[in-house]
Amino acid sequence: MKKSKTWLVFISLVLVIIFRYFTTRPVYKDGDYIRITAAVLTEPIEYETSQYLKLSGLKVYLPLFPEISYGDKVIIEGVVNDNKLKSPKLISVRESKSFATQFRKNIISFYQRSFPEPYAGLTGGIVLGSKSGLTADFWQKVKIAGVAHVVVASGMNVTFVTSFLLNSLAVFLPRRKLIPFVILGIILYLSISGFDAPLVRAAIMGGLAFSAQETGRFVSAWRALVMSALVMLVLNPLWVSDIGFILSFVATGSILLFERKIREKLASVPKFLKEGLSTSLAAQIGVTPILFVTFGYFNILSPVINALVLWTIPYIMVFAALGGIMQSKLILYLSYPFLWWFSFVVTLFSS
Amino acid sequence: MFQMPDSALHIIACDVGQGDAILIFTGSTQILVDGGPNNKVLSCLSKYMPFWDREIELVVLTHPEKDHYFGLIEVFRRYRVDNLLSNQTASGGQEYGVLEKEVGREGVTEITPDVGKTIRVGLMSLDILYPTVGFQSTKVNEYSIVTLLKYKEFEALLTGDINQAISDQLSMIGQIASVEYIKVPHHGSRDGLMENLLKAIDPKIAVISLGKNNSYGHPHEEILQMLNKYQVRILRTDETGDVEVVTDGERYWIKE
Repeated sequence: MKKSKTWLVFISLVLVIIFRYFTTRPVYKDGDYIRITAAVLTEPIEYETSQYLKLSGLKVYLPLFPEISYGDKVIIEGVVNDNKLKSPKLISVRESKSFATQFRKNIISFYQRSFPEPYAGLTGGIVLGSKSGLTADFWQKVKIAGVAHVVVASGMNVTFVTSFLLNSLAVFLPRRKLIPFVILGIILYLSISGFDAPLVRAAIMGGLAFSAQETGRFVSAWRALVMSALVMLVLNPLWVSDIGFILSFVATGSILLFERKIREKLASVPKFLKEGLSTSLAAQIGVTPILFVTFGYFNILSPVINALVLWTIPYIMVFAALGGIMQSKLILYLSYPFLWWFSFVVTLFSS
Repeated sequence: MFQMPDSALHIIACDVGQGDAILIFTGSTQILVDGGPNNKVLSCLSKYMPFWDREIELVVLTHPEKDHYFGLIEVFRRYRVDNLLSNQTASGGQEYGVLEKEVGREGVTEITPDVGKTIRVGLMSLDILYPTVGFQSTKVNEYSIVTLLKYKEFEALLTGDINQAISDQLSMIGQIASVEYIKVPHHGSRDGLMENLLKAIDPKIAVISLGKNNSYGHPHEEILQMLNKYQVRILRTDETGDVEVVTDGERYWIKE
């Protein structure tokens, strides 16, 4: 692409985003009694006495039962009050019968029937980004240790799925032909895991990298990063204030900036720890200030903890995903030593 | 990483906040009495059961009140429960309907609480002492199933949320002359334990399951004084978290 053309694309995308932002803004105001009919697109979070979900940009707290899951269609009425829906009333909930949501439920329930906590919740988090299964106690520990990004939906999940599919399909197909299958696999993975901002980001960036290979054109990682941010904001302007969206882009940006330089300085670190350490140190530079301002904490040891646990993730993902798909406890149990190590490290550093 | 069960009997009053959930086991044979008001019981089961053991031999639901049954919903979803001892009384709360559905789905053997019946689970046994046949009341607490847990020479009285009248009634049963362990009725409320019962059974350890700063003011001062008067050692889940008592059937000790 010529430079002038790039700028034209960039400016027109920004204009579309601004237009979308103002035209899709909700029309209600504080005090309005409204009825929301919507599909639940991110997994509700369960607290001790309530479940929390976000619908049309509003926070909604409902009793734990009837249970609402990712993908369900709900009708809820209530009064708008400062980004919250006050005294919400659940009019109806219709369970999603789609293949993806049923498949997700089956796999998570299989983990819960096979493993005790915190391992069941940890597995669901690592494989499918399902945060709701984690016990409140363990979620707290994970946040203190600074490894929350591993157990929620993150770009790393998409990266693993992509490289796993690439490597395993390469046995049967020439590289050029397998790309459509990999893309299909990623879309399937997203529809099972939920279209959270970090997953969509990684999927779009992956897609751009593939198309660059297809056409033989060089696309710089920075351009891919900016492009995917813009495309995402066209799709959903509300993401601009989504903390997952912001963290995902800032972390990727800092990895692009600093990872290589840090890796060069870590010559004496063993190889299997090095990648985790250099990546999380690099991401930390950008992410830490944001975490501190938004949540009021950060852990100085977090890069070390990340290096100690990140190497287990591919094993957990492969064994637990295969075990879940085949509903085989035997295969799933192969992930147990890695899960045990993960929770051991997190517990050690969070006490 | 791979904890191996020992051969002693363990009684754990799980720290589930304001409610009851008591896990009793020898080896890999478990009894769970009540499930507490939330899902914290899952952490307790995970902590004290080997990771491969997904079977609970007996669940006792003393009475269908939320602070005793709520956690059982997830327990039934995640574990294979062989037997359920519970009262067939109607209860409030749509959550109880969810629990009944889970129980029905799993093909659990349901046991009715007939006084005089003894349920054997491995080396443990449970004598059912209450409720009396044909008992009628409008208060769900008064249906609490009371059991006497026996393991060799060791005995523990599990009392649910019984009131003073039932507490008095129990003190007159010769069967419970001296027990080592009592689960103090109704989270240490003054309407539960009676001095007569304490005198009759002469326990050494009294366990109170309750939440910190609960809105009921449990445990009530009268109950603590009464226990102190009889020099019963008081253990509270709001102070120490899970309360674990271990016995080989003769001696017993409190695990810190």
